[in-house]
Amino acid sequence: MKPFLRLAIVVASVAGVMFLLPRHNGDGDHVLAAGRPEVTLNIQNATPRQVEDSTQKAVARDYAAAWQALADALEQNRPDLLGANFVGTAGKKLGETISEQRKAGLHQRFQDKGHHVNAIFYSPEGSAIELQDTAELQIQVLDGDKVLHSEDVTVHYVALLTAAENSWKVRVLEAVPEF
Amino acid sequence: MKSLRLTIFLLLASTVPYAAQAADLKVPATVTAGNGLSIPTSGSGEASLYVVGPGTAIKKKVQLGQDVQLTADELKNAGRYMVFVDSGDSATFFVTAGPVGSIAFLARPSRVPAATPNVISGTAFVFDKYQNLVMHPEPVKFELDANGMSVSRTETTRNGIAYTKLDSSRKEGAAQFVASSGSASVRRVVQEVASDPCNLRIHAERDKGSILVQTDPIKDCSGNPVPDGTIVTFTSLDAKGKSTVDARIKRGVAQAQLPASSNATISVAAGVVVGNEIRWGGGQ
Repeated sequence: MKPFLRLAIVVASVAGVMFLLPRHNGDGDHVLAAGRPEVTLNIQNATPRQVEDSTQKAVARDYAAAWQALADALEQNRPDLLGANFVGTAGKKLGETISEQRKAGLHQRFQDKGHHVNAIFYSPEGSAIELQDTAELQIQVLDGDKVLHSEDVTVHYVALLTAAENSWKVRVLEAVPEF
Repeated sequence: MKSLRLTIFLLLASTVPYAAQAADLKVPATVTAGNGLSIPTSGSGEASLYVVGPGTAIKKKVQLGQDVQLTADELKNAGRYMVFVDSGDSATFFVTAGPVGSIAFLARPSRVPAATPNVISGTAFVFDKYQNLVMHPEPVKFELDANGMSVSRTETTRNGIAYTKLDSSRKEGAAQFVASSGSASVRRVVQEVASDPCNLRIHAERDKGSILVQTDPIKDCSGNPVPDGTIVTFTSLDAKGKSTVDARIKRGVAQAQLPASSNATISVAAGVVVGNEIRWGGGQ
């Protein structure tokens, strides 16, 4: 075998293994599971209750999953993909968006470049948590395969999550001009 | 011939101005939810205009150079909106929540001991009439009314949320816990029950070969009777060892029969509260 070919195989193998390894750091505040957006969650500013380590991990995990579901649902115009991650107002409004997109023959594509999230409120009884999320996104609006509009933006979101049986669900998700 | 072709081309080109020419979109930075918006456009010709935001995805044919109207219903959800025309021009704006229209109120716990400080928590989430979280500061009044005694506190929302902690009242009963802001108000009921027993006391008497032990009426430190069914533990310690009997409060008192003994120490406890001790024997 030629040396160049051998080198190429080795590089490709290493790259493949690196890709398959789960990407978590040791702090538990940083989630980047396969296919999920990167969420970095800071809990230092949460009041009136301190966020427990296990809650921090669960919120980061479930918030990342919610964004993945949001991106999938808005791209495929499938409200059923939102189900497990969004409830209440957030679920209803995203469902309306999908319904309107279908009517207009549009869909959105999100390239998610990560979320820097601050927990700012954790309710005294531990059933609700409010987040401020600075998200780096590329948003495209498409008509079929045709890209009508594309923008790379930093968007500020306020999210309210409530505790369900064994996960956190997004109840409110609103973009705001600033924090 | 060449100049004729060029002339024809220029003439044809000048007849296609309707393929949207420079539509400069001017939008305000923010719009209050439920208000319509008029977007002036520049240029000429027909174009497709798109508006994509929370709960909204609109495609409409517009005449450039004229204002485009977005209705109140199309702009009722708070969030970020993208507006663009197919000629390429685009703008973004935010819809923000209107005045407080409703409150989601978490009152915890539903059952609390009386006369306990900071035991009742209330968290209010304020929304406008379109269920947008109201981000600007709003006062929320929390009021706890129990047995005619009322305590109130006003907190200002931060990012749509206000919370408080209140003491339970001295008397047991159903307390009305109300959160209100603007015209919105939500009521919850918090059941205040007797706290731990206070001054738990027993007396004993001989009873057919055993010792009958009975408490005085069991009340908390505020004088509220501790509920029937609460477990009270009686313990007798003598030379033969220890005997323990658990009994429930019935009609305000608890009683138990302990094995007869000539010299025993009898004690009582309920939860974390320990009562008096009796030394039984020697003619007592």
